[in-house]
Amino acid sequence: MSDFFSDGFFKNINLQDSSNWATDFVQDVIIPRLPEAVAGHFSVELGTVIVMLVCAGIFVAVVPLLPLVLVLAERKVAARFQNRTGPMRVGPWGTLQTLADGLKLIFKEDFIPPQGDKVLFLLAPYVIFACSFAVFAAIPFGQDILVSDFNIGIFYIMAISSVIVMGVIMAGWSSNSKWSLLGSLRSAAQIVSYEIPLGLSILTIVMLVGSLSMREIVASQDGGIFTWIIFRSPFTFIAFFIFFISAIAEVNRTPFDLPEAESEIVAGFHTEYSGMRFALFFIAEYANMFAVSAIGVTLFLGGWQGVLPGYDFLGGLPGFVIKTLGLVFLMMWLRWTLPRLRVDQLMNLCWKYFIPISFFNILGTGIWGLIFKEDDVWSIGISCAIIYIALISAYAIAGRNLARRPEPQPS
Amino acid sequence: MDKYIRNIYKGVYTVLVGMRITIRQFFEPNVTHQYPYEHDFEKKQNVREIPKGYRGQLYNRIEDCIGCKKCELICPVDCITITGDKLPKGEQLWDSMNVIHLKDGREIIGLIEGEDKKLNLDEELTITNITSRQGPQEVIDRLEQSGDESRTQTISGSEVSRVVTRNPVVFYLDQFDIDMSLCMYCGLCTEVCPTECLTMIDTLEGIEYSKFDRTDLIFNFDKQEMYGKDETDTAEAAD
Repeated sequence: MSDFFSDGFFKNINLQDSSNWATDFVQDVIIPRLPEAVAGHFSVELGTVIVMLVCAGIFVAVVPLLPLVLVLAERKVAARFQNRTGPMRVGPWGTLQTLADGLKLIFKEDFIPPQGDKVLFLLAPYVIFACSFAVFAAIPFGQDILVSDFNIGIFYIMAISSVIVMGVIMAGWSSNSKWSLLGSLRSAAQIVSYEIPLGLSILTIVMLVGSLSMREIVASQDGGIFTWIIFRSPFTFIAFFIFFISAIAEVNRTPFDLPEAESEIVAGFHTEYSGMRFALFFIAEYANMFAVSAIGVTLFLGGWQGVLPGYDFLGGLPGFVIKTLGLVFLMMWLRWTLPRLRVDQLMNLCWKYFIPISFFNILGTGIWGLIFKEDDVWSIGISCAIIYIALISAYAIAGRNLARRPEPQPS
Repeated sequence: MDKYIRNIYKGVYTVLVGMRITIRQFFEPNVTHQYPYEHDFEKKQNVREIPKGYRGQLYNRIEDCIGCKKCELICPVDCITITGDKLPKGEQLWDSMNVIHLKDGREIIGLIEGEDKKLNLDEELTITNITSRQGPQEVIDRLEQSGDESRTQTISGSEVSRVVTRNPVVFYLDQFDIDMSLCMYCGLCTEVCPTECLTMIDTLEGIEYSKFDRTDLIFNFDKQEMYGKDETDTAEAAD
C-alpha cells in the first residue's frame, strides 16, 4: 500500500519538493515519533494526505459555525434597522435562535418532487455547499492560518465560486417547478454577468501586485493602512466598490436577489427544497457572504495586516475577522436600504456601467504602473490626494444638491 | 457622456442618501415590548387611556352581593354560576349598615345617625358604629378589633358621593363563579345588578388577565370565610 502511494500515484505531484507545511509537519514531527514497525510502511506522502484530511475535517466542522453566527447577526441587524429587537426568546437575547431553527429544519420532511430529476435534485445542494466551502481553502485568515497557498489563489477562488451557478441551475431545473427554473435562470444570467466586472476589478490588483497568490497579495500590503491596495491608486479605489457591489450580486443578496425574489418567484431555485437540504442552501449562502467579504478584505483592505506598520493593532486573525464582519455589515446595511432591481436594471448596471468602468480602471492602473515604477511615498501620497479631492468635490456637489432639494424625511 | 456621468453620480448619491436614513434608524431606540414579560403600562410608553366604562374582566364585590341571581339569569352564555342558601331563621351575619362612598374614593362602613329621615347631603352626617374605613375586604377584621375611640365620625355631606344601605345578611353564597373564558362582555349582568356590586374592571388589570390554563379563567368570588363558615363548621353541622 505504501509502495503505491510513494511510487505510483503521487510521483507526478512531487510533494517532496514543495514547501508544503503538511509535508514538513509529517517529516519533522510525525515520522521520528512513529514506532519501528509502522515507520517502515509509512511514507511522507501518506502522512501528508492524512494530515490534510484531518485539517479539512476540522475546517469543514468549524466553518459551518460561521453561518450560524451570521444568520443571527443578520436577523439582529435587520431588526435594528427596523427599530425591532429580533429574536429574543431562545437563549439569552435569542442567541440560540439559529440552533433552534437548525434543529427544526433537521426534523422536517425531506421532500423530493416526484416529477423532478431525482439525482440532480439530491446533488445540487451539495455542489453549492462544497463549492462555497472550497473557497475558504485559499483565504489567508492570518499569517500562518492558510489551508493552502496556491500560486493561483485568486484565480482558484474565481473558478470555484463560478461552479456555484452550476448547482443553482441543477437545483432549479431538477425541481420541476417554474419558480425554481425562473430563479435559476435569473441566477445564471446574473452570476455570469457579474463575474466579468468582478474579474476585471481583481485584475487591477493582480496588475499592481504582480501575483495571483493570496499570500503575496496580503504580503504586499504590510505598510499600514496607506499601503492597503484600496489606497494604492485612485483606480483601485474605484475597483474596490465595483468588486464589492459585484460580489453582492454574486452571492444573490438584496438588492440583487432576483434569483430568490420572494414576491415574484416564491423562493427561486430552492422553492422545492425542505428540511436539511434547504438548510444546506442557507448555510452556503451565508458562508458565501462571509467568503466574498473575506476576499474583499484580503484583496483591498490589507487582509490580516494591521492598520499601522509594525503594530498588531487590527491585525492578525481578530483584525481580519473584524474587517470582514465590517464588510458583512455593509452588505446588511445595503440590504435594508435598497429595493430590489429589475432584471433590465441589473443588466444595465453590469454591462453599461461596471464593465466599461472596469476596463477604464485596468487602463488607468497600467498607466499608473508605468508612471510609478514602485510603490513609494510619492505614488501613495498622490493617490490618496486624488481620492481625497474627488471625495471632497463629490461631497460639495452633494451638499449643493442637498440645499436645493430637501432630503425625504423618514415618516 | 454627460448623461452617463450624471447617472453614475445620481446612483451613488441616492444610495448614500438612503444609507444615511437607514443608519439613523439603526441607532434609534427599539419599540418592541416583550409582551407577556413586559407590559405596555410598565414601560410607560405608548400607553393609551382606557375609556371610562370599558368592559373588562368581571368583578363581584361579594360583601354587597345579595345573591339575587339576576345576573345568572340574564347572562346569555351562562358564565355565572351561583349557589347559596338561607341561614336558619333568626340568624344573621351582620346588622344592617350603611356604606358611605366618599368622593375621594374612600369608603366608610357604619350607621348614619337618624337614618329614618331622608338623607340630606346638605347637612353634616354623623356616622356611628364605624366598622371599616377602607375597602370592604376587611370588614370581618375590623369587626373583630373594634375599639370605641374611632367609631364615630362626622363628615360634611358634600364629601359623600353615594350611600348604599346593607340590609342584614340572612343568607350565604356557597359558590359565585364567573367563567371568563365564556364571557362575551355584553355587560348585561352589571346593568341588572341591584346593588351594583357586579362590575367590569376598566383598568389594564381588567384587560390583560390571560392565563396559561383555561380553568384559571374561572374566578371564584365566594368568600366563605366572610360568613365565619369554614369547612370544619360545616362538617360539625353535618354531624
